[in-house]
Amino acid sequence: MFRLNLKIALRNLWKNKVYATINIVGLALGLTAFVLMILYINHEESYDKWSPDLKNVYQIREKHDFFTPDNKEHWNEVSNSRIANLIRTKLPQAVAVTKVDNDWSFGSGYSVKTDNADPVMVNKIKDSDSSFFKVFDYQFVQGSADQALENKNTIVLKEDLALKLFGTTRALGKTIKIIRWRDDKGDLFTVTGIVSEPKTPQSVHFSAIMRTGNKDRDPDEPTNNNYCLMFTKLNKASDTLVLNQTLQKLYVDFRKNLLKGQEEDYEDMQKPKKLPGLKVIPLATVHSNPPYTLSWFEKLKPVMAISAFLLLVSIINFINLATAQSVQRAKEVGVKKVLGSYKSQLTAQFLVESGLQSLISLFLCIVLIEMVLPAFNQQFNVALSFWHNARLLVLIAQLVGLFVFVTLLAGLYPAWVLSNYNPVAVLKGNYENGLRGVVLRNVLVVFQFVISVTFIISIGVMEMQSRFMSSKDLGFERGNLINIKTNYEDNFAERLKKIPGVQYVATTTQVLGNSFNVPEEIKYKGKPIKLNTVTVTMDALPALGVKVLQGRIFSREYKSDTVNTVVLNEAAANLFGKNLIGQTYQKTDWEGKDNIFQVVGIIKNYHNEGFDKAVLPTVYKVTRLGGTSNTNNLLVRFNTAQHKEIISKIEKEWRMLYPNFPIEYNSLDDAFSKVLEENRRFMNMIVLFSLVSVSLSLLGLFALSTFVAKRKTKEIAVRKVLGASNIQIVSLLNKSFLILVVVANLVSWPVAYIIIKKWLEGFAYRIEVPFIPFAAATLISVIIAILTVSIQARKAAVTDPVNALKYE
Amino acid sequence: MIQLTNIEKYYASKGVKNYVLRLVTTTINQGEFVSVMGPSGAGKSTLLNIIGMLEEPTYGNYHFMGEDVTSLNERKRIELYRNHIGFVFQAYHLIDEMTVYENIEAPLLYKKVGSAERASRIADLLDRFNIVAKKDLFPNQLSGGQQQLVGIARALAAQPSIILADEPTGNLQSAQAEEIMSLFKKLNEEEGITIIQVTHSEKNAQYGNRILHIADGLIKEDIKIQA
Repeated sequence: MFRLNLKIALRNLWKNKVYATINIVGLALGLTAFVLMILYINHEESYDKWSPDLKNVYQIREKHDFFTPDNKEHWNEVSNSRIANLIRTKLPQAVAVTKVDNDWSFGSGYSVKTDNADPVMVNKIKDSDSSFFKVFDYQFVQGSADQALENKNTIVLKEDLALKLFGTTRALGKTIKIIRWRDDKGDLFTVTGIVSEPKTPQSVHFSAIMRTGNKDRDPDEPTNNNYCLMFTKLNKASDTLVLNQTLQKLYVDFRKNLLKGQEEDYEDMQKPKKLPGLKVIPLATVHSNPPYTLSWFEKLKPVMAISAFLLLVSIINFINLATAQSVQRAKEVGVKKVLGSYKSQLTAQFLVESGLQSLISLFLCIVLIEMVLPAFNQQFNVALSFWHNARLLVLIAQLVGLFVFVTLLAGLYPAWVLSNYNPVAVLKGNYENGLRGVVLRNVLVVFQFVISVTFIISIGVMEMQSRFMSSKDLGFERGNLINIKTNYEDNFAERLKKIPGVQYVATTTQVLGNSFNVPEEIKYKGKPIKLNTVTVTMDALPALGVKVLQGRIFSREYKSDTVNTVVLNEAAANLFGKNLIGQTYQKTDWEGKDNIFQVVGIIKNYHNEGFDKAVLPTVYKVTRLGGTSNTNNLLVRFNTAQHKEIISKIEKEWRMLYPNFPIEYNSLDDAFSKVLEENRRFMNMIVLFSLVSVSLSLLGLFALSTFVAKRKTKEIAVRKVLGASNIQIVSLLNKSFLILVVVANLVSWPVAYIIIKKWLEGFAYRIEVPFIPFAAATLISVIIAILTVSIQARKAAVTDPVNALKYE
Repeated sequence: MIQLTNIEKYYASKGVKNYVLRLVTTTINQGEFVSVMGPSGAGKSTLLNIIGMLEEPTYGNYHFMGEDVTSLNERKRIELYRNHIGFVFQAYHLIDEMTVYENIEAPLLYKKVGSAERASRIADLLDRFNIVAKKDLFPNQLSGGQQQLVGIARALAAQPSIILADEPTGNLQSAQAEEIMSLFKKLNEEEGITIIQVTHSEKNAQYGNRILHIADGLIKEDIKIQA
């Protein structure tokens, strides 16, 4: 029986090739978007799950404002290094505590030298202490977790790095030299262990863990703090709620102790509503709870909703087409019932058919995924894989579940409709129950078009916003400017200045691609103002090519510029008030001394971060007064577009001075495209979804028009006999669908407007909601709808009316 | 074998009962060959459908082989007609997606007949009707007469005790019609299969041994034909 049903199903698919193809392709499209989403979710879900032992591992988080993007207090992943000792000594449940470097955004890695080979840059070499592998359970290929980091100047490599450096994983006992910054002399490390790469991704991702000894002790000065990641392993999985109350108490005591005898005591610290905080969270939840940003789940929610919805739409299209086609199968049902088939047997038969189609769709979907995965991975910067999945069995189980779900959802209704045909009526040639479900189908088509039109509008607006951003005046000249990843050093800078074509060499802590915010509070005419401080060298502002609005920028002609003058940007000047040039303000440093600064100029705001962030009110200063900061930015401005030769000369100078450290630089043009990149990615994803959505709604429309054309066969025939022309028939059919599409457009305009407005509000610099995309989307949707419907309408119009009428 | 008592069938529309059958009472015995005749819309086909259990009477009693059909549930009823009744239609109603062989096999599958038994019965039927060569063809590759032969073969496959035929020759040319009618007569006489057919043709009715004339839902005449 099953074999015969399968055979009939195949013959039916073959007979209705076009419909079957539409069904299967539509379903495959919906499935592809959904399965990609599953792959992505699986990947994100699998973080830090490589060993059952990790259940007892917790990350320590402290609430503070150090190095937060908005200079406000947040729960941070990086915590004061002293907390490790606090937990080690005061929390009896803690079996081990480890400190490890965070991924800082600047500096891409360390230079590593093995024997006489050229130095290579290696990313993600992290400094930790002897407890790292006691907290994190890694598989040691060589060495052991207990002894690997027992001594200073030891290092444990991942297999990949060992292969890269030595060509073998048998590297135990070999030494490597690590040069951490440009003029670092470098330290020798002995390889004491090789660990294999775990099956799942890790929050603390490293290529090697070294022990320099820096993580073994805390700074002596109580006001000096080191911040790093901290993890603890407890003797058993614990209730974090209770644990965190204990920790909070320990922490308050600790803060009081630390600040005892300081001018700023604990009570003072609490004044600006700063509450101290310390807590732990299970390692498994670390990846899904990033500080300051939305978690992947939150970010993905709308996308998940869209992809689930697209799958649903494709299933409903499937149902629509199947029921629209069911008229053809009515006779078969009638005959089979007369031959003594139970209804359940017929239902089973039709389920087999939809199962067959969804199985084919699933295979097609897997093929599609294999095809799009490389592009997807590149787009979203992940390494997803279908076959080489760490949890292939889970994935297969999910797919089987999906298959059953889709089959039942897509197959049950048509099967029910079909198996309910009354054999007597059907065999008399009378199956006029086509009106059923038309309203539902119309609503569905409208719904699909609402989504498609909204997508099309969004794409239009996004395109306009990205054009706006890429052509926006940045407030500085990004051409002919490179940024070398190093700090300012006179010797090197002077050498560079001698190279013909080099106009300026300078440093700043604020430049597109690497901005470092140092918050400070100053007093101007008794009024406190919060500012962001940037330390620059004399040439930095001219090197950037900023625009001066009032006064002047720094120059060597003015001795005072190295003493106490500052330049403000427009945003800062607005906080001060008018007639600023020559005015002074005060800033109290941490020793309690008042420093006086004089404002000499105001420059136009220049962009140093993405367009989602407003330019911070910033003060620029050359003087060391009030403290300086320093990040690895060395700006080199060329006065010619012929970069290649100049850069090779710069590289030559670099190699002479710093043979142990490879040069790293990027152009400001690159930094700018990187800023735009995330937006471009997002847009590509939306384009992808729109493509799926638009094709699905066209399939849906096609199904509905087929259905209606079939249902109206007699009406069309009668009209033709009465003298209607083909064009009249086509437009007759088109009219009812055009209404649907127009309704969909009317619905999607406000929807799209709200969504787009919200999206645009995420940008500090944005366009007004434009009108053109709305009009364009409507036009496009109407045109493609007419084209789609006309395919069916024309077919119906040109058939010979005699054939249609003969049946009656 | 078939006992109909006061069978009524009507459709209510806008409060008015439209009668298709009124107070039909008759008995059909094993081995009879009955032709139901009457003008269009007289209720012939409805009567046949009620006998075949495809439709339920609105009122009245129907006993089939001693069982009260009206009181059976759907599954039981399907079981009953699947085992005892074969249907033959004017438009043949073969399943287009199945070959001749598969069409004949279909009722046996629903009856859950074993595969060896199935094969031998089908081979026998193909042989008897001289359509062995056609067994792998699809219905649309056959002539009307051949399709109706397959239709009858399919009806016989389940070895029913009764065949219900709704204008079996209505779509056929006269030569083919005669062939089909002789076949019915032969089945009736040689194998004792009860046959009830609806027909417009006086000539076809003469093949049987009893004629029921129906008009306006009533049995007007019940004639026995002497051979």
